[in-house]
Amino acid sequence: MNAYQKEVWFTIIMSAIFLVVGHSGLLFAMFPTDAMLFGFPVMYIVPILSGWFGVLILTIIAGAIGNKIDEAIERENEMKRAEAAEQKSSKGVN
Amino acid sequence: MGENGWQLENPIIGIVVVALTFLLFYVVSYISNRSSKSVEDLYAAGGGVGAFTNGLAMASTYMSIATFLGVTGLILNMKVPFVIMWIQLILAIPLITIIYGTSLRRMGAFTPTHFIRERYGVRASIVAALFMILVQIMYALGQMIGIAVAFETLLGIPYFVGLVVGGVLVIGYVTMGGMSGATNNAAIQMVIITLMFVVPLGAIMKAMGGSGWYFPPLLYADMVPTMLEAVPNFFDYQYSVKWYFAIIPALTFGSLGLPHLAMRVYTASSLQSARKAMVWFALVLGVVFSATYVMGFAGVYFTETTGNPISVEDADKLTIILNLVYNSEWVTALVIAGAVSAGLSTLSGNLIAIGALISQDIVSTLRPHLANKSKVRLGYISIALGGVVSVVLAFNPPDFLVVSILWAFGLAAVTNAPLIVTGVWWKEANKFGAMSAAIIGGIVYIVVSPFVFPSIVISGHAMTDGLGLSGAMFTVPISFILLIVVSYVTNRMPGLQKYLTKTEDAELIERIHGWETVNPARYNSMVAAVIIVVGSIAVFAWAIMPWNL
Repeated sequence: MNAYQKEVWFTIIMSAIFLVVGHSGLLFAMFPTDAMLFGFPVMYIVPILSGWFGVLILTIIAGAIGNKIDEAIERENEMKRAEAAEQKSSKGVN
Repeated sequence: MGENGWQLENPIIGIVVVALTFLLFYVVSYISNRSSKSVEDLYAAGGGVGAFTNGLAMASTYMSIATFLGVTGLILNMKVPFVIMWIQLILAIPLITIIYGTSLRRMGAFTPTHFIRERYGVRASIVAALFMILVQIMYALGQMIGIAVAFETLLGIPYFVGLVVGGVLVIGYVTMGGMSGATNNAAIQMVIITLMFVVPLGAIMKAMGGSGWYFPPLLYADMVPTMLEAVPNFFDYQYSVKWYFAIIPALTFGSLGLPHLAMRVYTASSLQSARKAMVWFALVLGVVFSATYVMGFAGVYFTETTGNPISVEDADKLTIILNLVYNSEWVTALVIAGAVSAGLSTLSGNLIAIGALISQDIVSTLRPHLANKSKVRLGYISIALGGVVSVVLAFNPPDFLVVSILWAFGLAAVTNAPLIVTGVWWKEANKFGAMSAAIIGGIVYIVVSPFVFPSIVISGHAMTDGLGLSGAMFTVPISFILLIVVSYVTNRMPGLQKYLTKTEDAELIERIHGWETVNPARYNSMVAAVIIVVGSIAVFAWAIMPWNL
């Protein structure tokens, strides 16, 4: 997968995961439950926890992957620059 | 408690504490003042803000006075559905950062409209800027009124005096410090907000008998059985799946179009720093948001278990009321200072955004050859003008501007977010599509709001229409469909080719994503465009079906 594809898929998948984690209340509206967790109704505490810690973890992951994609784009830019320089020098030789 | 309701018995304590916080903000502005020599300094703090400071400033700018004086009251009335609606607001900065923030930071944009001007041309940017100014004025007006009402009801200062004095003080410190001062102040304000909200909440919970008082944001499970006994439906979701889905186009997507949030990303010292800032943002905002839900929970617990009902008129003062009941007066004074800080941090973000929108995105666009010094001066005048307009409107605010700041999120979702997101990721998007989406989408959203034609609404449920949930679910798809279809069609009309700037658009998109060369295969997916149009049609069709609320 090239850097462009990585960038596009990262943005789509990460945005979708952020939406799911930040909107877990929507999932419970679709599939209600009476279960309890840590003394709270699951439908109350899970959206709060995922909307805080879930989002926090995702920001760490998104930051790390975003930085790696920047590096991949820069590497492809360097390759393009090298190719262009090579073509230029071979034209000069000919 | 005062004789005339919920008020400090000794307002002098409150006035002194608030005055000291204002003094602190002025000192910070003075020290931070980089004597802004360029528009980059004025609106983006020279692009040199570190991740921790920026993360705190992002959270502080986002957290308005409503955190102290509105949200808890709404939880008191709406209970858990409002909590669920509020939780997703934390997605704002992470989504802005990964979807378009770093790209616009790379471009060196001051505002999202700056990008719209480069991408779609002057006319589209002026349309977008006018809508953004309306959104920012609504936001700023809400903060001005909130601060003046806090002064009036809690400290006994007349509304008019509180408005003028508060307004002048805010305008003074924002114009003195520019983005640099506002950012440092916002970071300090975030610390004040967190401490003044969470620590007194712990004391309230301890007084109520809660055993988890030492970490109030999460440790209140022991109060749940009593709550369920007193209010069996407290945790009920109450509304349909559609209502919860509508939060996505209205609020989650709306936050992507708020310029004062996006501008925080552009102040980052680097792309890596912008990404680190969103981590700090999520951490700190999570603490205060979770504490806010507990304050709402404690308010319901208080009214239902002590037999002391809080009237509808006093619901917004819930945080202060609980502090007046369970904590000493000087603690309540600190909480009031926290509330005022929350209002000020948001207001300063709003005023700087208004300043940038007026001076950079409208005046400088129409007069591009203005000298740098004139642009900076114009920026200061625009910031002050935004503040003065907010104060003047707050004397006798029109109902539609006050009723719902959240409705403004929907307006941003309809008029700005589709232009920015599509403009960053799809080369086919053009000025005709952008203008159609912003103008038609914006007008339709305003028409179907209950504030203009009360009989033309989408759901018929007053709160759902008033918050803009139904309007945004109806109109955001229209904006996307218009943008994509009109762009696609006009790109293929020979007579319009001379008005289009396809080469420049392609270069801009590649550059803001970090590429040094243009590749026609990149950012050009028709499959994605078709999926978005089909998805938008489905959401639109769902929006016009009965809401059954």
